[in-house]
Amino acid sequence: MAVDAGTSGAGALRLEQLRKTFNRGDEAVVAVEDVELEVEPGEFITLLGPSGCGKTTTLRMVAGFEQPTSGHVRLDGRVLDTVPPQKRPMAMVFQSFALFPHMSVAQNIAYGLQMKKLSRSETEEAVNLALTSMNLAGMGSRSPHELSGGQQQRVALARALVVQPTLLLFDEPLSNLDAKLRGSMRAEIRRIQRRLGITSLFVTHDQDEAMSLSDRIVVMNKGRIEQVGTAGEIYLRPASVFVADFVGRANFLEVSPQRVENGKAAVHALGRDLVAECHEDVRVGESAYVVVRPESVTLAASADPADGTVLNSVFYGTTAEYEIETSAGTLIASEPSPDPERMLPTGTHVRVEIDASRSYVLRKP
Amino acid sequence: MTAAASELTAAPAPPAPSGKTGRVRRSPYVIGAVAISVAVVVLGSLIPLAMILKTAFSAEALPRYGEFVTSWADLSILRNTLVLGVLVGVCGTAIGFLFAFVQTRLDVPFKRFLHVIALVPIVSPPFAIATATIVLYGRSGIITSGLFGLEYDIYGLDGLTFVLSVSFFPVAYLSLVGMMRALDPALEEAAMDMSASRWRIFRTVQLPLLAPGLAAAVLLLFVEALADLANPLVLGGDYTVLASRAYLAVTGEFDTTSAAVYSVILLAPAVAMFMAQRYWLSGKVRTTVTGKPAGSVHLIRGWARWPIAGAAYLIALVILSLYATVILGGFTEVFGVNNKFTLRHFREVLFGQGQQAVGDTALLAAIATPIAGLLGVVIAWLVVRQLRATAGWLDFIGTLGIAVPGTVYGIGYVLAYRTDWEIGPFTLLPSLVGGTAVLGGSLAIVLSFVIRSMPAGQRTAVGALAQLHPSIEQASADLGASQATTFRRVTLPLIRPALLTGLCYSFARCMTTVSTVVFLVTPETKIMTSQILNASNNGRYGVAFAYCTVLTVLVLLAFGAIRLILGGTAALNRVAAPMSTTRRVRGE
Repeated sequence: MAVDAGTSGAGALRLEQLRKTFNRGDEAVVAVEDVELEVEPGEFITLLGPSGCGKTTTLRMVAGFEQPTSGHVRLDGRVLDTVPPQKRPMAMVFQSFALFPHMSVAQNIAYGLQMKKLSRSETEEAVNLALTSMNLAGMGSRSPHELSGGQQQRVALARALVVQPTLLLFDEPLSNLDAKLRGSMRAEIRRIQRRLGITSLFVTHDQDEAMSLSDRIVVMNKGRIEQVGTAGEIYLRPASVFVADFVGRANFLEVSPQRVENGKAAVHALGRDLVAECHEDVRVGESAYVVVRPESVTLAASADPADGTVLNSVFYGTTAEYEIETSAGTLIASEPSPDPERMLPTGTHVRVEIDASRSYVLRKP
Repeated sequence: MTAAASELTAAPAPPAPSGKTGRVRRSPYVIGAVAISVAVVVLGSLIPLAMILKTAFSAEALPRYGEFVTSWADLSILRNTLVLGVLVGVCGTAIGFLFAFVQTRLDVPFKRFLHVIALVPIVSPPFAIATATIVLYGRSGIITSGLFGLEYDIYGLDGLTFVLSVSFFPVAYLSLVGMMRALDPALEEAAMDMSASRWRIFRTVQLPLLAPGLAAAVLLLFVEALADLANPLVLGGDYTVLASRAYLAVTGEFDTTSAAVYSVILLAPAVAMFMAQRYWLSGKVRTTVTGKPAGSVHLIRGWARWPIAGAAYLIALVILSLYATVILGGFTEVFGVNNKFTLRHFREVLFGQGQQAVGDTALLAAIATPIAGLLGVVIAWLVVRQLRATAGWLDFIGTLGIAVPGTVYGIGYVLAYRTDWEIGPFTLLPSLVGGTAVLGGSLAIVLSFVIRSMPAGQRTAVGALAQLHPSIEQASADLGASQATTFRRVTLPLIRPALLTGLCYSFARCMTTVSTVVFLVTPETKIMTSQILNASNNGRYGVAFAYCTVLTVLVLLAFGAIRLILGGTAALNRVAAPMSTTRRVRGE
């Protein structure tokens, strides 16, 4: 980890045994439990998890809005425990945007610069540059409520970027936008972050956002980190049943591994032998799950031999989805580029193929 | 660090944006703000109340309770007080509801006029309605005796109920109008869809939804009526209530022990009802469960609207007649008897005997208003944003100024500050009340003004701050602004309308308060309201009316000045609206 004060290499964030408990009535609720994380300078990290998993509390501890019960936040080697939010070299983009409603767009963007005591002309110049680069030219004198959601989002981003923070924080900033806008803002945030190389910590419960934005994703559940990894690692080699279930959709087939070697396990599922990659916890003879993604399940109509029957089928356009009743429970299968004329009707007997190379074996918790 | 950290862990903060930011160190500004607010509240509110309790439960006072419950006279005073409270609570709420119903549900003309009429009692001084009522409807009243030849004795319960209901119904009206406007019309439409009649919808949908609001209004007016001193002094006649009895004990009999006992008996129901309204009922008021009310209200257009609207018009005309009497009465020799135009009364008020009272009152109110307004905002900020475990206490103590009847404060000030506070040979605090008071008692008067008018600003600011999402202030801190800078540049501008409202209301309340200040005036410091009381009691109604008009004009001028200084618009509407939730319209 570089302890570098220079602008290019700065932004190494380290969370050390970070813990936060809240007292609700008489009982202490653990919101964040022993979170340990190291973020490289320039990296884009997403905290992903369901609501109440502690991701926002973690972000707010980094920002300084919450005080850790124990543990430390370290930025470029410096412990931030006693540093109030206004003295931390970070800028946050809030879920509600938190634009100052009584100030114009330009005043909003200038606010942080005025706090840095920049001269009037420097401030004006920086604000104009920010407005232009965020496609907000000519809107400086408008009031925030006169802008569309996407424009407000860009003002919030400009206001955060203009102070040249070492660390950018995002608290679900896209959740107030409609689906189309969310996609384009996602791309814009990623583009700007790459260009400026600012270390970023992004909180979301939306896996598409996490996958499209991040260098690495931190999956959290019940205050703990479940897995840290790239989108591919998290999707194809989930570290826990929770991760496999939360990120994407999954079929869980209960198995008992017959052999485990070289990171692969041989299992018997749905009447056939499969060899798939496995987690390091998996042991021979102990019960485990094969995680099979719906797109790894292929169906073919076949009266005999059959693995199951179609319970329900839905045409979605890009995919068709089937629910299949089998001896191992209900399976979900997803067929790419389906033909609506040739859907398998309910009650059809089908044979199931599983792509073992995209499946993963996990120990049953 | 350890102290702050332990407070953090002890805090019941939810993990979601809690609004209260956990900070390692409190800024010196926060500590300073806490210190000043605490000092003012302790001196102005807690010490006088403590003195009341100390006196009322001293060995000397204890036998008085026995006398009280066995004395027929005392018990009838208690009964009088409660009967008056219940009558005013019910009648005032009924009138307020009638006006609110006409305003929001009927398709009739002159609704704007009704609205303005309902707001006028808020800025008018006490006694104005009472005195005008005597002149119009009293024993030799212009209308009762002159028009109908009746010999009607207005003094007593009937007159008091009438005057207090008319004075206080705006409180009920404003809160009910707000509530009825917030009722989602879709609820009515849903009921109509299920083919319910208008009357049935009113009975089964609207009334149940408004019931907690109506109950809150009744409680509020009950407390108002209990605390009122001004009107019983002018209109009570033989009908004595606790407030006027306590006043008599101090000013007539110089018996502060009895006064303290009466105060405690008055204090108990007033504070209990106030707390019930504030903490219990207010949580039950639900207007809409869902998001934004959609659609528009279906106004009643059938014949049924006319009798309902007619009742409201009639009441409005009566109110109008009272205020017309106030204005005309100031310009005539003896209104109704000798209607010759004269400027004599105004000359006396503005350039004669009254000059000092007008000047003193305006000056002291002008000093107290900004202090009260700022303190209210600071306390609100502490309550909503800074404090955790202690927030509820500070909020409650801050609002004591309206929960406690003014008479009780007045007696408390007399008990606490009439004599010097001495430790050995040193004078810790010189006398603030009475003939030898420093600055002619004006220090105590300003303190009482601040305490009595601060809660208005505090309540409106608490409301405004609670609506302001904490992330706005966090964004400011995040961008490098200190706590003080954030307060000055972000928080204060955003709650400016609330501040404006609070200031306007504070000034109006300082100018119109009677019940505390009658105990604090000295020959050196004269206050308009106590001059009105004297004039009215001596039958010099013309002078009383002139004072009332001047006072109202001063209040309206101050509204304009506050608006001019702070910018923005504080319409009478806005000034009035938060009062409904804060209770209290005119002092007492």
